[in-house]
Amino acid sequence: MMLRTVCSSPLAPSVKVKLITAGFHTAADLTDVQPLQLCKAAGLSQEEADEVLRTLRDDPSPVQRRAAVQCLTALDLLHQEETRGSIVTFCSELDTVLGGGIPVGRTTEICGAPGVGKTQLCVQLAVDVQIPVCFGGLGGEAVFVDTEGGFVVERLVGVARAAVEHCAALAEDQEQRGALESFTVEKILSGVFLMRCHDYVELLAELHLLPDFLKKHPQVRLVVIDSMAFPFRHELEDLSQRTRLLSGFAQKLTRLASAQHGPAVVLTNQMTTKVSSSQSRLVPALGEIWGHAATQKLILHWEGAQRFVSLYKSSSHKDATVPYQLTAEGFRDATVSVSSFPSRSPAAGSHSKRPRTEH
Amino acid sequence: MDWEKLELNAKIINALKKANVTSARKILSLPAPDLQRLLHLSDSEVQLVHTAVAALYRTVPPVTALQLTLGEFPSLEPGHRLSFACPVLDGLLSGGLPLHGITELAGESAAGKTQFGLQLSLSVQYSREHGGLGAGAVYICTEDPFPIKRLRQLITQQSRLRPDVPPALIRAIRFSDNIYIEHTADLEALQKCVTQRVRTLLERGLVRLIVVDSVAALFRSEFQADEAIERARHLLAFSAALHRLSHTYSAPVFCINQVSDVVDGPNPGRCDYGLVESKFLPALGITWANQVMVRLMLRRQERSLTLGEQTSAARRLEVVFAPHLARASCLCGVWEEGVRGITQEGIVE
Repeated sequence: MMLRTVCSSPLAPSVKVKLITAGFHTAADLTDVQPLQLCKAAGLSQEEADEVLRTLRDDPSPVQRRAAVQCLTALDLLHQEETRGSIVTFCSELDTVLGGGIPVGRTTEICGAPGVGKTQLCVQLAVDVQIPVCFGGLGGEAVFVDTEGGFVVERLVGVARAAVEHCAALAEDQEQRGALESFTVEKILSGVFLMRCHDYVELLAELHLLPDFLKKHPQVRLVVIDSMAFPFRHELEDLSQRTRLLSGFAQKLTRLASAQHGPAVVLTNQMTTKVSSSQSRLVPALGEIWGHAATQKLILHWEGAQRFVSLYKSSSHKDATVPYQLTAEGFRDATVSVSSFPSRSPAAGSHSKRPRTEH
Repeated sequence: MDWEKLELNAKIINALKKANVTSARKILSLPAPDLQRLLHLSDSEVQLVHTAVAALYRTVPPVTALQLTLGEFPSLEPGHRLSFACPVLDGLLSGGLPLHGITELAGESAAGKTQFGLQLSLSVQYSREHGGLGAGAVYICTEDPFPIKRLRQLITQQSRLRPDVPPALIRAIRFSDNIYIEHTADLEALQKCVTQRVRTLLERGLVRLIVVDSVAALFRSEFQADEAIERARHLLAFSAALHRLSHTYSAPVFCINQVSDVVDGPNPGRCDYGLVESKFLPALGITWANQVMVRLMLRRQERSLTLGEQTSAARRLEVVFAPHLARASCLCGVWEEGVRGITQEGIVE
């Protein structure tokens, strides 16, 4: 850390220039310097000198601080992951594929054609994250960032009621019956925070404010952004600016999720038609670079009249495709078991590095 | 934007003034490294700027769903819908058209799509207790001339369609004065109409409903098959404008769409929304479908229905998708007084 150059430090450019002209090139050069000396030597104000010494000497930047504590063994990480838990989806086949549900502390992207059930899955998760701990849930809260206007309270009420009834039917011991008293539809509704954004600037603003919001509401275990594609595909015609904004966005979300007690971050994405030579097929929108943003990717699609969900990208689980259905109660297992369904997902091959024409 | 309002120290505010950035939008849409270069500030200071500007830019703080159900934020969740003036249709759509977002009705020609558009243009004029929004409608025609004769007929028959409303109230509404008809013959005119004239009407509170009859006509006719990217760009700009108007003024947008036939077998590049048996799908592809919140389809059927002394070809109205509705359908017919849904018991063939 002492070898860190002044150039690479997160200081204001003018300050860096002054330091370098005065002969301070690395952090080591500044070890024994007093603030007043630095003022004189580099021609900085008292305030600036304090900041220089704080950033380069005493107080390692937040990134470095995290790096310092995170000297963990793989076993520690495993424990950490287990204590974080995951959010059940109420579709047992999908839960099995995901190893228990949507993982907390990770980013998951849900892609699918309009009407296939992306928003429904998000609403289901916003309810499921609140299931009391004694029922195997997380007892958390959820943030729902709605950019499409698809969040309808009426639907949330329906899904919440079904979840409460489901838990009531399962209650066995005293503890669970006690927990049920406070697990009501109203409680669930008060644990879902809605933010509505009408364009990408409003979405960026929410993202800047999210870390402070999470600090104030430590119970939040789920952040949903439904959808990423809608605001970024409107209005932003400059593709290079869009790509840069999106990669910054992705970085922020990953940081948000991986922080200590970070929530599960769930993003939805639209599908678009990709034409290559003579064949066209549906692939997730927002381009190739965005495809790397989330650690897990689920693709929802139809095969005939049956809905399927495919785990398409994951670092810890095998790719798989399972059927599901949407009922009045929410996101559920398909009732008719479909034995012979193709394991191929519609977007297979969207990871090829060919340039994509987006429509 | 007045930078003095920001809760930041003087040094940062000076940097903002010096850099001559005037809008909060500009600051928020700049990635952190760019902003750092522009303002000559350190990382942590740039982060402070972003957070402070964002806090000032945000109009509505996060609200809980409970507050929404209690009706504390009518701008986010109005709590009521625009009625179709028929209990059966309203039942299918859980109260009617949502006030925020685009509702699409797709169907073949002669399925009766325009009848729905006309009926909504009238029902929006009733007061809220009678399912309306107490304002007029703007009707954008892109295909056929506006069916003015049929509208007159519907107006004279309103008391028959709405037995629930006192006749004196119906007579007091000057229906035809509150429907603003726009004819647009090309895309440019359509875009202009939406961004300028329709906005003015909404701003003045004269209308609370936008009907587009139909979206497909212009987008299908003005582009060649190989101009798909250009078409998508225009389609996105158009839907973004509608979306924004709808959310700003809590005004529902009702778009009528054509259909295209399904001639080939399964195609991985086409999304059929699980409609396996359908011989046709809504036009304009997935680009448009991504912009639609509620998609309805209207199909004409072979048989006919009888209601009193009138007969009508049977139609099936189906919810293809909607965030708050299950996939369901109901039978309906087009009668002299308007469109009416028929419950299973009421079918006389």
